[in-house]
Amino acid sequence: MELDAGRPPVKVRIVYCASCGYEPYTLDLAGALMRAFRYDIAAIEIIPWQDGAFDVAVNDDLVHSMYRDGGFPEHATVIDAVRAKLAA
Amino acid sequence: MTVTHERFEQGMTYAAYKEQMTRNRARLEENERTVELVASDLAFFHALPEALKVVVITEDWCGDAIANLPVLARLAEASGKLELRIFLRDQNLDLMDQYLKEGKYRSVPTIVFFSADLRQLGVWIERPAKITAQQSAELETLLSTAPELQGIDPNTSPALLPEAARNRVMRFYTEFQARTRVDANAEVVREVRALVEAGLARQEASHGA
Repeated sequence: MELDAGRPPVKVRIVYCASCGYEPYTLDLAGALMRAFRYDIAAIEIIPWQDGAFDVAVNDDLVHSMYRDGGFPEHATVIDAVRAKLAA
Repeated sequence: MTVTHERFEQGMTYAAYKEQMTRNRARLEENERTVELVASDLAFFHALPEALKVVVITEDWCGDAIANLPVLARLAEASGKLELRIFLRDQNLDLMDQYLKEGKYRSVPTIVFFSADLRQLGVWIERPAKITAQQSAELETLLSTAPELQGIDPNTSPALLPEAARNRVMRFYTEFQARTRVDANAEVVREVRALVEAGLARQEASHGA
């Protein structure tokens, strides 16, 4: 796969509650993104948080918030959001 | 909202629950050691005429459960008047869905107190209300005063906060939890006692009616 130098970088930020045992969900999602996009994603940032959070942002768009949406996001939801950014 | 004796007995004892934990057991047991019970609270529970039955719905990944379940367990052990049965939330949704927080959230820990004949006395969910309110108030003050947080909407997701703001809020959480830990433990006992007192009074009134 060739890198597209003209493509805007897409960054994913996963904020997870580190006192809630959300590590497996976090790593599963990060792995799914790595497998889906390989070089086509600029960065996956994983941030430990508190207070029951599991929030995912793609660039500056909040794709999932546990507080707002409840539960964990489907991988496909985040992958589709990244694809949409890449296609923009 | 009912739990039968048969269903109650399907729950785990606290010791059995700890044995099957796959994570956070060391933290749970460390929290057990920090609990200091007030003599008057202990006396109240000790003086109950019969042991209450207590359904605990929980999961070992939940920070609130790891913080607060040990307080209940210590109270049960010291008073001898709380018979705990622990149910894992995700394997016991029939129970969980009877006690949804705000009618929609499967929050843990959810702790349901019953009389010995399984009449419900009260439900306690997640964490002490006073501590939650205190944290919200202090966070609001921080948001209006900390230079890193100026102009930031208090409802902003941590995933969208600038790094400096995020770090400042995280520092607040860490400091708040360390500072309020003893108070929070005491508040769990105070709230649980108030819940039980109110439930018993209601029961007494309905008997007298």
